[in-house]
Amino acid sequence: MGYLREVDASLSFQSFATFREHFGFVSKQWGAQTDLLDFAVRLGSQGTSISSEDVGRLLGAGLSDEAVLEAVLVAAWANFCSTLSTGIGTEPDFALPGLPASPADSQSSTHECWGPYLKTVPLRPAEFAPFAILVDHFGFVPSLFRSQGLRPDALAAEVSALQAILLTGSALKRAQKEGILLAASGANQNTYCVVVFAEVSGALGTPVEDSYQTAMDHRQVALVESEHALLDFAIKLILEPAGFTQQDVDLLRTQGFNDEQVLDAVAVTALTRFLNTVQWGVGAVPDFAPRQSFRRAGNNPHLSSTESRRTQREEISDPDAGLVEKAKSGDLDAFQALVERHSKRVYRTLLGLLGDADQARDAMQDTFLKAFQHLGGFESRSKFCTWLVTIASNTGLQLLRERRPIESLDSSDSESDEAFRPRQIRAWTENPEQMYAQTERRALVERAVLALPAKYRVVVLLRDIEQLPAEEAAAALGLGVPALKSRLLRGRLMLREALAPHFMKNPKGVSA
Amino acid sequence: MISCADFMAELGNYLDDQVAAEVRQQLENHLSHCQTCQVVVDSTRKTVTIVTDSGSFDLPETAMKPLTEQIMNKIRSQQP
Repeated sequence: MGYLREVDASLSFQSFATFREHFGFVSKQWGAQTDLLDFAVRLGSQGTSISSEDVGRLLGAGLSDEAVLEAVLVAAWANFCSTLSTGIGTEPDFALPGLPASPADSQSSTHECWGPYLKTVPLRPAEFAPFAILVDHFGFVPSLFRSQGLRPDALAAEVSALQAILLTGSALKRAQKEGILLAASGANQNTYCVVVFAEVSGALGTPVEDSYQTAMDHRQVALVESEHALLDFAIKLILEPAGFTQQDVDLLRTQGFNDEQVLDAVAVTALTRFLNTVQWGVGAVPDFAPRQSFRRAGNNPHLSSTESRRTQREEISDPDAGLVEKAKSGDLDAFQALVERHSKRVYRTLLGLLGDADQARDAMQDTFLKAFQHLGGFESRSKFCTWLVTIASNTGLQLLRERRPIESLDSSDSESDEAFRPRQIRAWTENPEQMYAQTERRALVERAVLALPAKYRVVVLLRDIEQLPAEEAAAALGLGVPALKSRLLRGRLMLREALAPHFMKNPKGVSA
Repeated sequence: MISCADFMAELGNYLDDQVAAEVRQQLENHLSHCQTCQVVVDSTRKTVTIVTDSGSFDLPETAMKPLTEQIMNKIRSQQP
């Protein structure tokens, strides 16, 4: 998706324009100092190439330490924003301007460059509250922050962001966030940040060797698959922003993460990129002796390993894979075979949602047209069938919203948190399925399902009628697995109440 | 001792056979003397079976064929 890369660059571009307007003392020197812009762009795009020489050149040309620090912060901020916008798939707010070509590639150096490059103003935790917070949480003030003493206001904002994203957000667990900090810094080849996060996690009980391994190649660490998927997600966001799509988010959903958790993962990854960029720019010196360097020459092994992982995933057998490939290359007969194979399932889902055969027919046509149009974007990270059911249920739910805007489909699960009190408590007959003819049973079930509120109905349809696995149903609906399960139980219990009068044993002494 | 409300809170996992052995033991202790919860478990299981096997919302093959043909005609007509 080309637009992601463009957003990437345009954000940097817009930030610099803003930067120029707002910071007079820099803009006075701007005209003569395009070097500063070059520096910031290179810092933002290839931070590992920055050395003390680059900073020395700027200072030698008459720029102040404050101006250079500001450029570092702005470049880091632009990276933060671009990772965030890539991760959540933001549409650009404005038409994109023509952008300058990015600087030549492969200037990155395998040498570690330590500073500090800029003069520092000592701030003491006792007098500077943000540092007190860092001491509280990390046990010390990492040099990354001490190197920015010229800008206490920016430091205060950074520590607030750190608190909000890393320390207080509750969607992802702290250990998961630390994993992302490590894996994303490792992917970025930022030794400083790997070292500091490994030591901080060490103080909280994670062996430092494990943290290094997470940064190097988390697949070598014993984690459950969903945790690996989370780290793969962060690494891809760092290394392949241009290839990042909806599919990457869906993959996490398939692993049971809800949208709050995905957003958390994106924010932590963006924060990591921010901290990495600041570190390159100011040349913060490691607080602990690094046990190894994460700088690498040539291809980044993370990149090739995510590639090979994706191939493995594609091999996870999707019975439709062959037809999908053919259809993607324009083979309409292959697409027709897919339509024929899945039409019953799509139709059932839509009729169950809409309760109207005409509408279900139209919505099915709409579903397959959308699938055909977007087939190029389907990356085989989920099964084709799940993808199709996702489109179908979204199409159906959208029609329901238009029909009855009052009915909330997305409201929180507050009502399912309340204890559900069963009202029908008489025992059922031994073989309820033998009590009615199949057509009668079907009519009873259809009526009961259609009477469910939509948010329970759709879950019952996907799980009990389509029999999708919980993870796939959750992914299709953009729900976490726990939320899906709680809605499913509520839906089943409501169906039980509705069906009970038809399947209960007769009271003693009353004949059927 | 667990209450009926506790039991209901674990019902979903119990039906899906996704509770730890220790919890299962507690739930089954409760079931052994609580007829209401026995009925709820039994009838909810039966509900799932009835719903799954009902053939609800199915369209017969013969009725489906014209619909898929219509879809493919539309797609083919949009091709250059």
